[in-house]
Amino acid sequence: MSKKRFNRTSKCRFCRMGVEELDYKDTQNLVKLTTNQGKLFSRKRSGNCAHHQHSVKLSVKRARFMALLPYVA
Amino acid sequence: MYEGLFLIDNTHASMEWDNVVKHIHDILQKNGAEILKTEKWGEKKLAYKIKGHKRGTYLLIHFNTKSGAITAIKRDFQLSDYIIRSLIVKDDKIEEVSQIGVIEPIPARNTGATPEIKDAELLEKTDMAINVTGEA
Repeated sequence: MSKKRFNRTSKCRFCRMGVEELDYKDTQNLVKLTTNQGKLFSRKRSGNCAHHQHSVKLSVKRARFMALLPYVA
Repeated sequence: MYEGLFLIDNTHASMEWDNVVKHIHDILQKNGAEILKTEKWGEKKLAYKIKGHKRGTYLLIHFNTKSGAITAIKRDFQLSDYIIRSLIVKDDKIEEVSQIGVIEPIPARNTGATPEIKDAELLEKTDMAINVTGEA
């Protein structure tokens, strides 16, 4: 009955880790935030907060420009 | 503090690497930049073809300059024959943490294995994987 039972970690994964901004050079981790086709996961799907979803978006797009990640796979 | 990533034509990179690095340094220094760090990533396969190139060599340079100089620097790099593509990003806190997974070439298992994993598993695995790198 207590509230503790429902105490779930609701923050996004980067908030939990204490990451401020993502890095476009870190391709290994950015790949995991995209689908097999190379599309970005939605905010709902990835569970990221607004701040970190923006950061993911920016870094994936930078990585795509430098041909580190595909636009279409 | 700026961070520039340059994609260099492989034919030039393998033949005359020192010249290419000097050429890039010259462009930066001509525009009053102070070079802090130069790092070669080595040859990599590109995610897609750029002007017919399938492979390229990456060079990462950290430098300091006035904000007004950036447009001139960018234009000079666009005119250069050696450089296929360049990206200059402002970064006030260039940390050691930002280097994770970059200095070493990406292991083969990560490029091949992860796309096949089903979505639910993928999220869990990524969570774990990111945590590991975060702690390290």
